[in-house]
Parts: sequence; structure tokens; C-alpha cells
Amino acid sequence: MAKKKPLHIRREGRQGYIFILPWIIGFVVFTAGPLLFSFFASFTNYDITSQMDFIGFANYEQLFTGDQLFWTSLYNTFYYVLFSVPLTTLGAIFLSALLNQDVPGLRFFRTVYYLPAILSGVGVYLLWMQLLEPGSGMVNTVLAWFGIAGPNWLFDPAWTKPALIFMKLWGVGGGMLLYLASMQGVSQSLYDAAGIDGAGRWQQFRYITIPMITPVIFFDIITSLIGGFQIFQEAYVMSNGEGGPVNSMLFYNLYMWKKAFEAFDMGYAMAMSWILFVIVFIITIINLKLAPRWVHYEGEDN
Amino acid sequence: MFKRRAILLIAALFLLLSGCAGFKTGAVNQKASDGDEKVKVDFWTFWGSEIRRPVVEKIVEDFNKSQDKIEVTHTFVPWGDIWTKELAAIAANSPPDVVINDINATALRGKKNQAMNLSQFLEKDDISGDFYPELWEATLYEGDSYGIPFNTDTRILYYNKDAFEEVGLDPEKPPTTWEELEEYAAKLDKKDGNTYDRIGFYPLWGIQSDVWMLNADGVNYFDSEGEVSIDTDANRDTLDWLVKWREIYGENTINAYQAQIDSQQGNPFFNGKLGMFINTPTFYTQIRDYAPDLNFGVAKLPERTEGSGHTSWGGGFVAEIPEGSKNAEEAWEFIKYLTGAEAQEYWAVKNFDNVANIEAAENAAKSDEMSETDRMVYQMAVDNMDETLLTPVPVNAPDFTNLINPEIDAVLLGKKSSEEGLKAAQAAVEKLIEKNK
Repeated sequence: MAKKKPLHIRREGRQGYIFILPWIIGFVVFTAGPLLFSFFASFTNYDITSQMDFIGFANYEQLFTGDQLFWTSLYNTFYYVLFSVPLTTLGAIFLSALLNQDVPGLRFFRTVYYLPAILSGVGVYLLWMQLLEPGSGMVNTVLAWFGIAGPNWLFDPAWTKPALIFMKLWGVGGGMLLYLASMQGVSQSLYDAAGIDGAGRWQQFRYITIPMITPVIFFDIITSLIGGFQIFQEAYVMSNGEGGPVNSMLFYNLYMWKKAFEAFDMGYAMAMSWILFVIVFIITIINLKLAPRWVHYEGEDN
Repeated sequence: MFKRRAILLIAALFLLLSGCAGFKTGAVNQKASDGDEKVKVDFWTFWGSEIRRPVVEKIVEDFNKSQDKIEVTHTFVPWGDIWTKELAAIAANSPPDVVINDINATALRGKKNQAMNLSQFLEKDDISGDFYPELWEATLYEGDSYGIPFNTDTRILYYNKDAFEEVGLDPEKPPTTWEELEEYAAKLDKKDGNTYDRIGFYPLWGIQSDVWMLNADGVNYFDSEGEVSIDTDANRDTLDWLVKWREIYGENTINAYQAQIDSQQGNPFFNGKLGMFINTPTFYTQIRDYAPDLNFGVAKLPERTEGSGHTSWGGGFVAEIPEGSKNAEEAWEFIKYLTGAEAQEYWAVKNFDNVANIEAAENAAKSDEMSETDRMVYQMAVDNMDETLLTPVPVNAPDFTNLINPEIDAVLLGKKSSEEGLKAAQAAVEKLIEKNK
């Protein structure tokens, strides 16, 4: 049966726990309680101040069978995740590949592309609302130089989500930094060896760089998937909390927020949050299961 | 080994302590008292702008000086946070004592035990008659008031007198019906090729379709009995009428103008590129700032047909005592001062804002601190209160707009007919109410 693990492994394990101790304490003290509470309260009509009666699965039943907006918000969120995650991942890899070249002014470019990642929050969204103004905004003005009549971005239900994804692409600098760091960790000897064997630039990139950075790609995809499902601020600010034309920006978390803090239907909102949790959980499990097929860890035994 | 454990323990303790520090300071603050044993009243508003903040703080200061038992402190909490924070504070049983909150959801907060029932205080000092009845009504849940009206607003028509004169319209006779509105707008339009040099009027700049539906027959989504009345003839006609306007000017023109209106100082009404514009009386302060020489007049909203009424739409804020406040008596004293004629007139004049107290509003309109134009607009704002209806959220369906708005958007974008859209909205809201019953 299970052999006792060697001493150094056990010690390593213990040290690992010590390192994540701050998180564990924070989780147990501050997060675990509310988490369990929200699970329990999702089976009630809890509204924070006046009532908390057990109503069984009524919230879940209503969500799945009687709430059109639940499906709308789920659709909007999936749409957003489906496009924004691959696009931002590809964008970040592409950008870091460019900025990993030895060209003059490199530091300047790296700073410029990283800058949007540290600018965040309401100010940036307001700025983008101006940039995306259909009549006088910068984006459509530039498009007009090339003879393209730009869409009504935030006013046309078909274009609101693409507008948000477009805006998201502007902020790929954060992911870029991760890729850049891992690309620089790829040993030069691998490229040298490949060069001697006659591999071109593209082949080197495809067969050396990409496999070597797969752990970071994996990390980036998981975190941006989870982040993507939680999209809220952008829609809240850019649609004035309304969900945009024809509810096209009514994302899952925005709808949940409205249920919780406008209708004070907290139990319902908590049921929604658990559904989202299950969705994200399943997707993450699938990701973890698929990972061994394409993620390459250097120094792995097998 | 032992030593290492000790270090770990200490580290863990530090973490716990730093986690608790946040709570500690809060508790210390609450207990702090200056020798006089004055009762502290914590007053939350979202008025942090350089214009509003000094005004509200002056009112607080005046109140503190007017007596020696209560000390009110003003806490500014940003607009996006204030009510969620209030709710969290109520849940944690340590709420502030007075909070400015949305008048339209006052009944809902009463039902949910978030705001305190004020009838215990009103039995002693009945101040209900000091305020516009429409506002007072909105604070009631099952006959009891849960907030005292503080300020309000309404929607009025601004029109450019010079432009009227230029096209041969009488500058003292603004349009009074929808038909006249269309007629005048067409006269005021000035087209140069494919672009407009001036647009007469477009109904959805400044206000939204729900105001027009209210204006059409005095009811937009719920009738006086509280029944859902979304799919009505008046609403259908109104949406069709709005779609017609959209077709006249076209998407591109409308969007371009909308962007300028959103930019505030670029509002086309300021430079004469827009003949008529509907907005709140407070919009006048922008005219004062950005276009002081503009020759304009103000009027009530036109009516759909003669006799259908110049109904306008308003909102506003109340001062309420959150459930669980430790100093409700003192909070009530402050609210009485805050919504009393003196403080309200000061607020009205300094902020050029509609106030809920009738006496204060009427005095403000005559205040010699205001210029003649100021008084003209303010008087219109006061007069218009007779036409102004509020649309408080129904307690059974507080988030009903989520269901209506997408349907109306679809109608206005030409994706659905007004009949289809309103029918769907009516059914959806009825279903929501049925579920919440």
C-alpha cells in the first residue's frame, strides 16, 4: 500500500502549507463562514433585513424554469468568455513574442504596452465610453480614415459585447508580462541547438517557445476564464447599471447584483452565485484534466 | 524545532491582529465623546461635489449651533457605494442614524425593515403637510411613512427664443401639444445638404421613453390601483410616435447629437444648434455656466392631445433613519431641521435644486439671491410640481424595469413592433409580480 513518503518530501509539503498559511487563515476566518452561509441562504427567501424562511429549491426552480433574464445573462456571459479568453491569450502571447525581440526602444514599448494593465477601474471605462462614441469618438474617427463606417458600439445591441472584448484586448499587458518573463526563462541553448539543426524562426517559436511557456498559458487561461465569468464592473459602469440596450450587457454578475441590491432578493442572488460556482468549477476541472495533454513542465520525471 | 514553532505562532498572531485592527478603530470612534455628552448623529449623504458638499455641511453646522444636545457629523459616501454600505451596516446592526436615499424605493425599504417606521415621530410632530403630496405619497408603505422627502426634480421644456423668432414663431408661445411640438420642430430644422445645422427637437434627448408614456395619459407602467398597465393604447401610440421621430432624423444624426449632449459643455442647445430640449430645472445651471447669453424660455411639457395633461416626471431623495439606529430620537430632530423651510430654502437657492418643502420652494423662487432668469426657471420648476408624478417601484416587483427596458429598446431600434414589445413586457411583469406575491 501507500509507502510513507521520504522525509524531505514531507518537510517540503509542510513548508508549502506554511507559505500559504496567510491565505488559509484568511479563508477560514473571513471567507468560509459567508461561503457556507450563502449556500444555506440560497434555499431561503433571505433579504438581509426582514425575512429568512426556508423555501427549498424554489429559487433554483425559478431560475431554471421561470426566469428569462437568467438565460439572457448566462448567454451574454458565455459569449463574452468564449471570445475574450482566446483573443486576450493569443494577443498577449503575440505581443510578448514581439517584445521579446532585441530591438531598440524595447523598454519604452514594454512600458507602453504594460501601462493599460495598471490603469483600471471606472476612469478607464469612462474614457472608453468616449473613445467608443459613435459620432465623435476616436475609434470611429480612425475607422473613418480607412473608409469604414464604424458601428454604434455601445448603443447597438449587436456591438456592445464586441466593444467590451475590444476594450479588454487593450489591457493584455498584464498577461504579456507573465509570458515575457517565462519566454526569457527559456534556455538559449535550446534555440542554438535548433538553429544548428536548421530550424527557422517560426519553427523555433512553435516547437520551443510555445511548449516551454505552456504552464503560463495554462495559468493564464484558468485565471482569465474565472475572471471572465465574473465580468461586472465594465457592464455596470458602461451601461449605467442598466444592462445596456436590449439587455445585451446584462452579464451574470450584473443581474445577480441587481437581484441582491435592487430587489433585495438575496436568497435568489445567492442561488445564482452557486450556479455560477458550479459552472466555473466544472470548466476548471475539465481544464485540469486536459492539461497533461498539452502542458509541459520542465524537470518533470515522466 | 520548538523555536520555529514559536516563530510561526507569533506570525499567525500578527496576522490575526492585523485582521482585527479594522474593527477596533470603528469601535473606538463610536465611543469617542467630547465632555459635553452630546449625542452623536452620523449623517450619510453622497453629496461630495464641490458645490453640494459645502451646502450640506453648512446646514449641519447650523443645526449643531442651533442647540446643544445633538452633534451631527456629515459622512460623505460615494454614490456607487452608499446604499450597499448602508444595507451592510443595517445587517451588522450598527447603521448610521440618518441616510439620504432614493425616494422611489422608500416603501420597499419600509417593507424590508431597512428604514424605520416614522409614524411614532409623526404622531407628535406631523410635518406631512409641509411637502408636495406626490412626494409624501411615495414615502408611504401601508399608510406609514419611512422617509421624509428632501429634494426632488421634474422635467421641463427649454426652448431657444431667438431661434423661434428667426423662423417666425412667437417666442412667448412654446408648443403646448405633441402636434405643435412636431410642427415647431420641423420649422426650426435647418438642413444643409445631408447634415443638420439645427435640429428643432428630438424627444429622447434628455429624457427617456417612460417619461413620454407617463406624459401621454398620466400612467406609464402601473395604474393608480397598482395594476400592470404597460400594454395600453396610449403607450403603443407613444412608442410609435417616438419611432417616427427616430426615422425623421436618422440614427447617425441622433447619435452624433447625443454624444454632444453627453459631453455637457458641448450641448447643442447652448449654441443654438438644438431648438428645444427637455431636462430638469437644474440643467439651467449648465446654461448659466456655459451659455450665459442664451435667450431661452421654459415651459411645461406639451400634452399628447388637448386636455390629456402636461404630466411630467420626477424623482428625488428622502432622509431616512435606518432600522437599528441607536439615536433615532435625535436623528428625527435633525431630519426635521433638514427638511424644514429654512434649511430647504438654503439648499434650494445655493444648489438651484428643487426641494420637497413647499414653503421653502416658493420662497426660493422669490429669493433676491437669485437673478431674474434664475427666478424665472425656478418658478417654472415650482409650478411644474403640480404636473409632476413620481413612479415609485412596486414592492412586489422592484426590479421590473429589467423586463420592460429591453422590450422598449427593441421597439425603438425597430426590431419589434410596439404591439409585440409592450405585450411581451406586460406578460413578463405580470409573471414577476405573480411570482413575488
